[in-house]
Amino acid sequence: MSDLLTIKDLTYKKNQKTILKDVDLTLTSGKIVALLGENGAGKTTLMRIIAGVAKNYKGQIDLAGATKEAERKTKLSFTDGLTGFSDSTKIVQIVRFYSTIFQDFDENEFDELRKFMKLDPDMKLSQLSRGMREKLIIALTFARKADLYLLDEPFGGIDAMARKKIINSIILWKDEKSTILISDHFVNEISSLLDEVVIVKNHTVLEHKSADDIRQNNKSIEEYYESFYADEDDE
Amino acid sequence: MEFKDNIPIYLQIEQYLYRQIALGKMKAGEKIPSVRKLALELTVNVNTVQRALQEMNTQGILYTKRGEGNFVTEDTELLSKTKQSLINNELDEFVQNMEKLGVKQDELVSTLTDYLEHSEDHNEDHNE
Repeated sequence: MSDLLTIKDLTYKKNQKTILKDVDLTLTSGKIVALLGENGAGKTTLMRIIAGVAKNYKGQIDLAGATKEAERKTKLSFTDGLTGFSDSTKIVQIVRFYSTIFQDFDENEFDELRKFMKLDPDMKLSQLSRGMREKLIIALTFARKADLYLLDEPFGGIDAMARKKIINSIILWKDEKSTILISDHFVNEISSLLDEVVIVKNHTVLEHKSADDIRQNNKSIEEYYESFYADEDDE
Repeated sequence: MEFKDNIPIYLQIEQYLYRQIALGKMKAGEKIPSVRKLALELTVNVNTVQRALQEMNTQGILYTKRGEGNFVTEDTELLSKTKQSLINNELDEFVQNMEKLGVKQDELVSTLTDYLEHSEDHNEDHNE
């Protein structure tokens, strides 16, 4: 298994406030990895930096040989909150946009995903429930052919059925070589899927461990994650 | 499928498949479901299923036909050994649980015989 993503000495400040510091992280190809941490720990920022959306960071990021932001963007697919589209935009219009912007966007693949998620292409964004919107975001993200998929909190505020659909789409659509990084502040629902866990706390990557190692130490992934926050509950 | 927290998932998938074979749900010489189908059924990573199947190939309980998938061995001796080890696991657990309840090993046979002789009564009790 080869290294896919290497982050070294990453520091990021915004308005003189430190969001991330001294981040080192290496991900190999073909894995499903959870990025865990409390709200505000810096998970989304880390994803935005990897994705080349957040700039002016210090440190090195290498994604399959690509170090420049523009190059990295062609090798990864990042969930977009679809905030750039107005409420009256139809799914078909968003698909057209994606297919113009991203050379690796496969419309047939999207159609398969759309059918799997049971989404009507003529629906407008304003007509989508929270769960449907999240399913659309996942379908758009997986319809690109990338080495790295960044899913930023795909399970936030959606019902159990939508969650199940999204989890199944991960199992079905992930190819052997690509790696999926999923951020969440709650691990239970995806713990059986995971190869590795990355913990973000105190503005940095605190731990990076394989799921098997955690279980072999007689802990569930959830217990392992919660152990990083145990001290705070006691205060 | 519900996984136990503290055992690597691939080991639990192995145990699950061994059980399916012992129960006759997957028969000697039969093709088992594809890796992706098993992954979906168990809500696990494809890698994890592959790892479990690889180990079972090494142990000889499964064999791979190139391009066709994984099949259950036709080696009847190995199959009955597999079944016996599952039975032993169950018995281990039973003996340990009974010991915790204060039933000593030399009392096990009489306790079990007594239970089985009256098992119909127990069942009726449950039905009422």
